[in-house]
Amino acid sequence: MNRTAVVTGLGFITSIGNDRAAVTRSLRTLTPGIARIEFLGNPTLGVKVAGTIKEFAVDSPSWRDWRWPAGYEFARETLRSLSPHGLYALCATEQAIADAGLAREALTDGGTGLYCASAGSAFLLHHNLTQMHAARFERGNPMGVVASIAGTLNFNLAAHYGIRGAVGGFAAACASSSHALGCALDDIRIGRQTRMLIVGAEEVNAETTLPFAAMRALSTNPDPATASRPFDQARDGFVGAGGAVCLVLEEAETARHRGAPIYAEFSGWGQAADGYNVAVSHPEGTGLASAMRRALSDAGVAPAEIDYVNAHATSTPAGDRSEALALRTVFTAAGARPRVSSTKGLTGHPLSMAGVMEAAFCALALRDGFIPGNANLTQPDEACAGLDLLRATVDAAPRLVLNNSSGFGGSNVCHVFQRAEN
Amino acid sequence: MSAPVSVPPSAPVVAPISPHAAVETLLRHFPEEVRVAYVRLRDTGDPAAADTLVLAIVADHMPRSEAALTDSAELIADLGFDSVAIAEMVFFLEDLLQVNVSNAEILRVRTVGDLRAFVRLKLASVPRA
Repeated sequence: MNRTAVVTGLGFITSIGNDRAAVTRSLRTLTPGIARIEFLGNPTLGVKVAGTIKEFAVDSPSWRDWRWPAGYEFARETLRSLSPHGLYALCATEQAIADAGLAREALTDGGTGLYCASAGSAFLLHHNLTQMHAARFERGNPMGVVASIAGTLNFNLAAHYGIRGAVGGFAAACASSSHALGCALDDIRIGRQTRMLIVGAEEVNAETTLPFAAMRALSTNPDPATASRPFDQARDGFVGAGGAVCLVLEEAETARHRGAPIYAEFSGWGQAADGYNVAVSHPEGTGLASAMRRALSDAGVAPAEIDYVNAHATSTPAGDRSEALALRTVFTAAGARPRVSSTKGLTGHPLSMAGVMEAAFCALALRDGFIPGNANLTQPDEACAGLDLLRATVDAAPRLVLNNSSGFGGSNVCHVFQRAEN
Repeated sequence: MSAPVSVPPSAPVVAPISPHAAVETLLRHFPEEVRVAYVRLRDTGDPAAADTLVLAIVADHMPRSEAALTDSAELIADLGFDSVAIAEMVFFLEDLLQVNVSNAEILRVRTVGDLRAFVRLKLASVPRA
């Protein structure tokens, strides 16, 4: 029996909206979520903008001070071990479960698993360790570890929802939630699980975002309207972002049998590493090109069949050029010309959660029949010659889409999604 | 050095609380009478103030918020605490009162009354700054 998997639920806490309707509206109208921010109240910092999360207040290390949008109710037993991005993740997961029409009992049957991706909470880790240093490590917050280290999402969400299937976390920087999604597909295909929740989340604060400024990877453009401009000649770095996205992936027959809403089929994935540099993409994008080919092969799809590529392009000079060359290698050289956009011009770059967020955008595009454009693209880099870079969102129903992700160490992961035949 | 502590004649000697454990931070979500009790404990060592504080902290941390907070109430059986919730509450007390509590000490506390007595004893045993 060939088991396939479909996307049946989505939840969003993102810079461009805190629910599916708002996110869809933003993708269709190219309304960005990037805003001015003064990290730590320090006006001398060069980074002036971020993909901020609205309607939440999570600046305090204490959950007692946090505020979140109406409609979510969480017990203190849940809140006490969360980080700020754990709160985002919980809200996104609540949305996705409701969206998929799943009863809470369905999550505890052992057939449902959970894969998560985040870098942990540098903010809480710093706070907790500072507190422990002050006490000469004689005492510390007993929730400090589970609330802050990488893995905090899977610890907390698995316990909260009573998940009894496969549970784990992925740490491959900006490709992490794409790995999570790919491995979730494998688990469903080989029959280990019938349903997987895939959650990516990150904080947008000084501790998570500004270390990338030390790498000279962040944009210092102070204008929220133009700071994130993937593939543009004037790009000068990425814009940090945060939030959370949850995607529910289900074995197709199970989903259809229960009458679940189906956004798209997840048809295949592939990964390949650059074997080149700890932090910089291969200049020719060789690893990414291999990952794309592997994903296409896994899905049994030719390059010419892909209608749209949601690029990883984060608006860094080196990374976008590398991806453009990889796209030309895979598509242009094969005589194919899919539409290409990076939605990070709207959202900024939310690190570990980028992969699942953009997979969710692809699912929306497939179900609702549109292809998002490239926000802020004025003069494409010459490396993009021959690529069909959309300037505006178009009402065109794609049948097959490719979602790219790349992370530190040269990790590259690609997914193929297909319009569902209901 | 802390300022000298004035101890009411009828009260046992209670060590001063470090002035940096602040009403404005750890206790900012508590009712006014609890914050006043903390200041009284800090300034005078009044053990009745310690009781007020302990009861409020147990109430704030206990999973079964509807349970009756009596001296005989057991933290685990009656109030719904698990070991993690107890550890969380103990850390709050440690942080607020600037004391260290060992695992062995925690294990001896079963009821709300045990905890009240333990905190009184702990504060009395802390050397004066």
